Amino acid sequence: MKSLEKLVAELAVQRLQNQTRRHFLRDCVSKVGGLAMAPLLFGCESGLTKKAPTGLNLSERDLNPLAPLASPFLGKAKSIIYLHMAGAPSQLELFDFKPELVKLHDQDCPQSLLEGRKFAFIRGVPKMLGPQAKFSQHGESGAWVSDYLPHFAKVSDEVAFLKAMHTDQFNHGPAQLFMQTGSPRIGRPSLGSWVTYGLGTENQNLPGFVVLTSGGKTPDAGKSVWGSGFLPSVYQGVQCRSKGDPVLYLEDPSGMSRDLKKNVISAINSVNQEDFKTFGDPEILSRINQYEMAYRMQIEVPEVMNINEEPAHIHELYGTKPGEESFANNCLLARKLVEKGVRVVQLYDWGWDTHGTDHDGSIDMGLRNKCREIDRPMSALLLDLKQRGLLEETLVVWGGEFGRTPMQENREGKVQGFKGRDHHTDAFTMWIAGGGIKKGASFGITDDFGFAGVDERTSVHDLHATILHLMGFDHEKFTYDFQGRPFRLTDVEGELIRKILA
Amino acid sequence: MNRNSLAILLSVLVGTALIAFFFFGSEKEVDYSSDIKPILNKHCIACHGGVKQSGGFSILFEEEAFALNESGLPAIIPGSPNSSELIKRLTHSDPELRMPYQRAQLSEEEIDLLKTWISQGAKWGKHWAYEPVKNPEIPQQIQSAGIGTSDAPVELSPIDQFIREKLEINGMSISPEEQPLRLLRRVSLDLTGLPPSAALVSEFSAGKITYNQAVEQLLEADTFGEKWATWWLDLARYADTKGYERDVSRTMWPYRDYVIRAFNEDKPFDEFTIEQLAGDLLPNPTQDQLTATAFHRNTMNNDEGGTEDEEFRVAALLDRVSTTYEVWQSTTMACVQCHSHTYDPIRHEEFYQSAAFFNNTRDEDTHDEEPRLRFYDEEQQGQIDAVLNWVKENEGEKAAKTRSDFLKFYEPKYAAHLATDFNRSELIDTKWLGLWSGGSAVYKNIDSQGSDQMLLDYSTELDGTKVTIRKNGAAGEILASFVMNNTKGGIVREIPFTPVSGAFDLYIEASNPKADPQQNTSTIVWFAFVPKLKGKEKQGYEQVAETWDELLKFRGTKLPILIENPPYMARKTNVFERGNWMVLGEEVSPKTPAEFGAWQDEWPDNRLGFAYWLTSPENPLTARTLVNRIWDQIFGRGIVRSLEDMGSQADLPTHPEMLDYLAWKTMHEYDWSMKSLIREIVSSQTYKQSSTISAEAYQQDPSNQWYARGPRFRLSAEQVRDQALDMSGLLSRKMYGPSVKPQQPEGIWQTVYNGEYWTQSEGEDNYRRGIYTFLKRTSPYPSFITFDAASREVCLSKRLVTNTPLQALVTLNDPVYLEAAKRLGENSWKASAANAEKAIALTYEQLVLSKISDSKKKTFLDLFTTAKTEFTNDTTALGEFYKGAKPEVAAMAVVANAMMNLDEFLTKP
Repeated sequence: MKSLEKLVAELAVQRLQNQTRRHFLRDCVSKVGGLAMAPLLFGCESGLTKKAPTGLNLSERDLNPLAPLASPFLGKAKSIIYLHMAGAPSQLELFDFKPELVKLHDQDCPQSLLEGRKFAFIRGVPKMLGPQAKFSQHGESGAWVSDYLPHFAKVSDEVAFLKAMHTDQFNHGPAQLFMQTGSPRIGRPSLGSWVTYGLGTENQNLPGFVVLTSGGKTPDAGKSVWGSGFLPSVYQGVQCRSKGDPVLYLEDPSGMSRDLKKNVISAINSVNQEDFKTFGDPEILSRINQYEMAYRMQIEVPEVMNINEEPAHIHELYGTKPGEESFANNCLLARKLVEKGVRVVQLYDWGWDTHGTDHDGSIDMGLRNKCREIDRPMSALLLDLKQRGLLEETLVVWGGEFGRTPMQENREGKVQGFKGRDHHTDAFTMWIAGGGIKKGASFGITDDFGFAGVDERTSVHDLHATILHLMGFDHEKFTYDFQGRPFRLTDVEGELIRKILA
Repeated sequence: MNRNSLAILLSVLVGTALIAFFFFGSEKEVDYSSDIKPILNKHCIACHGGVKQSGGFSILFEEEAFALNESGLPAIIPGSPNSSELIKRLTHSDPELRMPYQRAQLSEEEIDLLKTWISQGAKWGKHWAYEPVKNPEIPQQIQSAGIGTSDAPVELSPIDQFIREKLEINGMSISPEEQPLRLLRRVSLDLTGLPPSAALVSEFSAGKITYNQAVEQLLEADTFGEKWATWWLDLARYADTKGYERDVSRTMWPYRDYVIRAFNEDKPFDEFTIEQLAGDLLPNPTQDQLTATAFHRNTMNNDEGGTEDEEFRVAALLDRVSTTYEVWQSTTMACVQCHSHTYDPIRHEEFYQSAAFFNNTRDEDTHDEEPRLRFYDEEQQGQIDAVLNWVKENEGEKAAKTRSDFLKFYEPKYAAHLATDFNRSELIDTKWLGLWSGGSAVYKNIDSQGSDQMLLDYSTELDGTKVTIRKNGAAGEILASFVMNNTKGGIVREIPFTPVSGAFDLYIEASNPKADPQQNTSTIVWFAFVPKLKGKEKQGYEQVAETWDELLKFRGTKLPILIENPPYMARKTNVFERGNWMVLGEEVSPKTPAEFGAWQDEWPDNRLGFAYWLTSPENPLTARTLVNRIWDQIFGRGIVRSLEDMGSQADLPTHPEMLDYLAWKTMHEYDWSMKSLIREIVSSQTYKQSSTISAEAYQQDPSNQWYARGPRFRLSAEQVRDQALDMSGLLSRKMYGPSVKPQQPEGIWQTVYNGEYWTQSEGEDNYRRGIYTFLKRTSPYPSFITFDAASREVCLSKRLVTNTPLQALVTLNDPVYLEAAKRLGENSWKASAANAEKAIALTYEQLVLSKISDSKKKTFLDLFTTAKTEFTNDTTALGEFYKGAKPEVAAMAVVANAMMNLDEFLTKP
């Protein structure tokens, strides 16, 4: 038992060292408002190679699976903000301008586009539907952006467009899964989980992978789009909510003061320390760490999730209204979260499925309104990140799970009351901005109808390969062993899109 | 092989061995599976096996490895390593020819092993897990001193002998026995998922019962089934919703109850297997055997608009094949869907040959999830008997059986999505047939079995729709003609039908002048052919006919199950090229993979035969898989660590002989009794060891793979909650029935196009065991997910255990845990006659079954004092925290809350 006593003694010395560290005083004490609890194991700061001072030869990761790790090679970006428009926005009204389609409006769809194809709802021969928005070119890059996105048009020089994206899933659920996990079937880890698994996170007082939703619904594919699949569940996305506790069970029970909670956690950890001394199981050290982190998270999460204190010009920029569940608020939160060292922030905005079955789902009215909801905040996000010097180290990705048809939807052969477009896999537009991305680039060309890519086609796997590359991974070597074989986010495919790299 | 060729072969083998002996001195026999296969898998097979066969050479299957490749020569010449191209290429001076191409050279040891193997005759071998299970010799050592609580020698069980042997090799030894009460808590949590009852604790501590007697009590407890069913339900991907986009509720709980009962009855595992995979194919299956087949109806079902049901039927089919292989064979089939296995000798077409066993069930991803088993109450069962007796008298046994089956699960029938040739008609939400006025549709290749009556399931709000059904087309013979009026909800209606022999195309048209131009005149769900009751002239007919009509209105519990297609509905199975269901390759028939044990001719070529094959003692993987997973449940790691895979890429077993010993015994001595297997494991000294660990021991074996200490790990999601409720006296012991919805935060359910809400259960249903909590796949019960429970969309062999701050937030702040803490604190306060010190000791000892140390007592007493002072000074806070409680009681609740967050409480000791 002697060696154990030695371990605990070492632990105590380390604790003292931690307490006297400057960073500790700055980062911890200020955060917990004078209620500092001495972190037993590592202090507040993050370290890439630190060993736990237990004599058990454990790395920080052994005790804290979210401890930061260096990427295999130096990535251009440190964090990701992914804006997913659930339901799939129409590329033909936003970015992919097709003058030919204007001429074909209301004519029967050419047989060549229909032969041997299957659509989700289109039956028989539908009519072509011309673009319902006005297009013009913007900025030095001359990017085509429609009048549905006037604010975004002004920042379009910051982004690189992927105009010939394609997928192989035309139903929302499978397509969202494919876009977020690289597989249309449930069970694979999401992009955010892979990245958090590979890099850990910088700020141990916040979740490493945060999910924010707006539009009143979770995505069609459900929580699997931020699930960790076969990776340990610690890497799954943590949904932060705008109503109730931002993180489930974050708030102390009513009537229990912070002081009292501090005492509760101190008691738990002091007993756990004694048990570690008795039983010697390093899992107990993980438990101690876990409770310290929970306590700090209780302070830092509400702080970062509170946008009331933001200055007026920031609210003006984003168009945010505190207390709402909105895409605008989520954009501002995304900036705050990456600023605080969160690795991945995933936004889902629901309500982009414009079939033309009702007003909200119409291409000319519903879609325009949806664009109003996102135009200002997503442009503000780019500007705000830029002015803080964060855009260089943050990847911002925008897109849906597939595109929309150049044909007017005729669900079950019926004439629709509103203008709508069906699901479409062969062509859609995404954009990506920030760390390592060539500003103002445009990659991919579609045919005259905007029906299919003709050059520089980009698959979902290509996109994933490129994102991983920018985060410092070779997508072919970033694997996890499961069921007797190594799995990758990109399965056996994926080519780097070099032309959009800075 | 005749005797002569055997003799020649033997002499060749002996000769080779002799030559090998002379050339390589005393080198021992190289074993293909353990020595050679790992080298080939590591360095060669990526380019020379399965999908890729560079240079026309593959080393995956034996015949490929010795075949002529593109050069016209075989790569391996047994007995002659130096003339074998395989060896030459490993050391070639030209980098273009040296293998592995553009990769690091093999090590000298590896090359030497390959040379020795070839010189010894290049004997091919099976991967260890594909060899039949043999009964190994148990290492003998009668007793071992110094183990156990007393100095008396303890008899070592066979498990202990196997463990001891490996420990000695690794320079370790078994730990002393755990303290009795900690051991009792461990075994109780392992067998029932709950801590031991107060009664059991007191009997055991008073020495009234022995450890083995306590084990017997726990094995016989109803809670045993609830604990072990949780494990099986992860494998069975059991959930209360369909999954995918809409993720609406389904009724699956009767299957969950079947599993709990099966564990409690100790249903032998072979029977358990056969019932779940093929209960419907057993002769005159019981309700229970039909219920069991819901195992494979736990596959997801897609209701998203615009999805094709056939695509998702196929997805479910492939999932059934993969799940079956993962659950019973520890084999990953996902690769083989698209191409031959890269590492294991399973061919692409063999996956589809297995799929052919499962491809003939009636379910078609329809919205209503038919076929479903009806659960009739006693009165209804009496009515059924009356109808069936009538049919038996008037039409005979066979007709009665057909009608009895129909009442049980309403098959065979034709779903609306089979309709084609839509003319002024549609498939509403890609699910149901809607005919507009003047519209029509066609069902191709229908067989009415000559029935004089059709049953039609439909609903409409319109009156006066004329429906006509014709044979083979718009101008065909009229088979039925009737008027639909407002049904006020769905109905099943009997419609006179002109008997037709053989298959025909069913043409259906509707007209209603009152309908809007694009309005659906009705929503048609399915139709079936069930003849009119005979014996109209006889007395009692009216009564029977009325009873039959009444039965068709059944609204009770319906459980999705497997039912085999009748021959006239049988599907063919084809290989899917590159795994794509739209690109059909050659047709295949049911067949099991050659590598995994023989098929016996007396087995039927269907799921039942497949289940016999799985549970045959010749099958090398079933028993090993079962033992490995049960071992993992108890020790937190498998004997083969990768629970989902025992293929050649998997980890080698740490104790191969023990795995085989337990597998053999389970089959041949225990007759597949899982309770017997579990009993043997928990009765071993290996299990009973103390889990205390020294730093040295930890360094030597951090993951405890050699078992020099007892298993100690965090409890599962369900156990964490069940234990808290149990300790506070809140836990309801109600078993079975529909899943419950205990308190959860608002706004968790936000599924699109779903329209369902989490309506909190009432009364004791808020405090049922976790296994009864409603599991919505896209939004599972939040605190369970935080503690690593599965969302059950796909089969899960092992839950990974993680530690995150979010878990701490659950047990600290979730109202469920808070309520438990208050109740527990208050109980202790009363029981200790308002003495804080006593209450603290009592609570602690109740929770972890150990005496509290002075230092711990002081820690909690300090916390109690702080809390009491705070609540005394701040009565508002007191009121908010614990309305109506005294400061002392509230302070005890705070202490209990802290205690219920101790590592020791959350961990199996």
